[in-house]
Amino acid sequence: MRLTTLTAGALAAAVAATSAHAGEIRIGATMRMISENGQKYGQMMQDEFDAINAAGGINGHTISLELLNDECKSDKGVANANKFAYQENVHLIIGSTCSSVTLPIVDVTAQAEVPQIIPHSTNDQITRKNSAWVFRVPISARYYKGVVAKYLAESVGTNIAYVYASDAAAQSETQGIIGQMRDIYGVEPVYEAQTQEKEIDFRSHLLKIRELEPDAIYFGGLAEPIARFLVQSYEVGIPASVIRAASSAASNAPVPKLAGDAVKGVFFSAAYSDSDTRPIARLFNALVAEKYGIQSVDHDFSQAYDLVRIVEIALSNAELSLADEDLAADRTAIRDAIANVQGYEGLASGPISFCAEPTAQCRDGNRTPVLIEYTKGGEDFEVGILDRVTMPIDFGL
Amino acid sequence: MRALANVASMLAERRRRTHPLILWAVAFVALAPLPHLAANNYQIYLLNFICIMIILATGLNIVKGFCGQVTVGHVALYAIGAYTSAVLSVHFGMPFWICLPAAVAAAAFAGVLVGVPSFRLEGAYLALATLAFAQAVEVFIRVTNYLGSASGIGGIRPPSVFGYTLRNYDDYYYLVMPVMIVAVYASFALLRSATGRAFMAVREDPLTAAATGINVKRYKLIAFVISAIYAGVAGSLYAHMLPGYVHPNNFTVIEMVTVLLMVVLGGIGNIWGGIIGAIIVTIVADLTRDFYFYQLLAFGLVIVGTVLFMPKGIGGIIDRYFMSRRFVAAREATAARKRAEVDDAE
Repeated sequence: MRLTTLTAGALAAAVAATSAHAGEIRIGATMRMISENGQKYGQMMQDEFDAINAAGGINGHTISLELLNDECKSDKGVANANKFAYQENVHLIIGSTCSSVTLPIVDVTAQAEVPQIIPHSTNDQITRKNSAWVFRVPISARYYKGVVAKYLAESVGTNIAYVYASDAAAQSETQGIIGQMRDIYGVEPVYEAQTQEKEIDFRSHLLKIRELEPDAIYFGGLAEPIARFLVQSYEVGIPASVIRAASSAASNAPVPKLAGDAVKGVFFSAAYSDSDTRPIARLFNALVAEKYGIQSVDHDFSQAYDLVRIVEIALSNAELSLADEDLAADRTAIRDAIANVQGYEGLASGPISFCAEPTAQCRDGNRTPVLIEYTKGGEDFEVGILDRVTMPIDFGL
Repeated sequence: MRALANVASMLAERRRRTHPLILWAVAFVALAPLPHLAANNYQIYLLNFICIMIILATGLNIVKGFCGQVTVGHVALYAIGAYTSAVLSVHFGMPFWICLPAAVAAAAFAGVLVGVPSFRLEGAYLALATLAFAQAVEVFIRVTNYLGSASGIGGIRPPSVFGYTLRNYDDYYYLVMPVMIVAVYASFALLRSATGRAFMAVREDPLTAAATGINVKRYKLIAFVISAIYAGVAGSLYAHMLPGYVHPNNFTVIEMVTVLLMVVLGGIGNIWGGIIGAIIVTIVADLTRDFYFYQLLAFGLVIVGTVLFMPKGIGGIIDRYFMSRRFVAAREATAARKRAEVDDAE
């Protein structure tokens, strides 16, 4: 009975803490905010929604954003999504950063019938669940791996050594590239090894790779391991003529800063390049540098920004009552409005379009990865665009 | 006065004669309506999670609290239960009712592996060995493609009962809550059994226990296996709950510290304390989700503070309260009996 009393008391407290404000558009965001950049992505979303509110809101309605940290853990992400869907009664869920968190959240939002828009996760299985409630702003891993495999095979060579960390994105991208090389070009890796997510000493692998004399070495992992890998590849004596490639996390600023000159010539695919010369990109880079102290903007910033703009467009076009009793109808209206976003051109490397069918073709909005090469390392690093490829909509399915 | 003493003794006798299962049936009836009292599905999700944490914490309490073995590898057994269920459900299409016993069997076997080092190791050394085991399990899962590696395993099917699928949190509650009650009941039954007394003897002094004829190794191993069975049940229930997804990030040292906190805060060796600890820690962790950076620091401080200033935890305080009430009642009953005897003599 004591258990019952305690639990009931806790529930009552939670009920008291619940607040549902009719008349405002409620958005819940669950993201990985345990790194400095992770917090800044969240902060930027908050600032952008605040700016929309300051400008009068959307059709007279203000937006309230609740940001929760999921620490890149699926149970926390699922708890956050449940909280947003059932307790906070949000109209839209944004999340998450990590694919391993987004994957289970898709099932939660599908059951709760809440539209979900993804800011950063790239794992191709996310949209292959065919949920009618899910939209992805970043480029799916199926496109990334296709473009990297194509570039490697046709411009570099087919003797490739692969080392990749055990995080979901790195595994998905690297194994995808290996699969593409096997299926399309009929070649096997000259070397393939998996490492721990936070491992930073790769010299034993690199020494073996050096003896194999590959055309290129590819590393999939998070930013810091990528930087260490690149530096160590020179330390063990792998010549500069061996092309270095890395997963999309190479776009993160710590890579060129930590790797210094070792980053020169390294290429990767991403959804945004800091060296983009379009006026909107220049303005965005300046804004991020001024507000968040980031000198070189990675694609997670641009994707968070594009997501806010897409949400803004969708909410402007949705007919919302925002009364508590119309929550389900409002959620459906927002879902349909996002599905109607066509040809959005913001910071992304290509136009973002969605459609109503709950398929990967309709819900992987951006299919234009950009191939980027570091031309200079260190604090004042520079990048150049190698190529921009719009992939066929069915690619990798 | 004599009549009053007779009534008191009659009531005490009736209480003794009440079948112990009735109290548990009452607990079931009391807990059954909770989903209907909850304001929303999220709270029911939390209730389910609390039940799973209670099972996990109760299991840890058996090996740590009852038997005194310092283990920090419990979360690995939880992971083994969850992944066994996940693999059988996703790769072999097995129903929950086969996955659950298989998960329990796999966790129990792992419990043997964790338990064997306890024959030779104690204290911090045993803690290190079990920690290494936990890390090895996490790393093994993370790099094994068959186990979903870093992407996890999704699509674990929810349980079905007579053709009805427990797809929602409120349906699932009526699976996890009874299992939790059975698990807690079993731990009380174990504590009162000869095995439970042997556990406590081993905990208090293994040499003396051995001198009195208790097979210390055997009972240590039994404690680890029973504890692992609890972890296996908890893991399987966690895996099959919506959204049916397991990932190695859910079975790290941080999760181990959280379960440890439940047991330490509630009171090591105190079953009710472990339950209260599981409830408090789960709810507090949820309410303080916004303060992630300080949460682990706070958890660590609570563990240190509890060990220093409240070594028997919340359960110890509750025990002391009831013990003092029993003492007062016994003293009053003795006084009443003496007064009655004096009255009779007069």
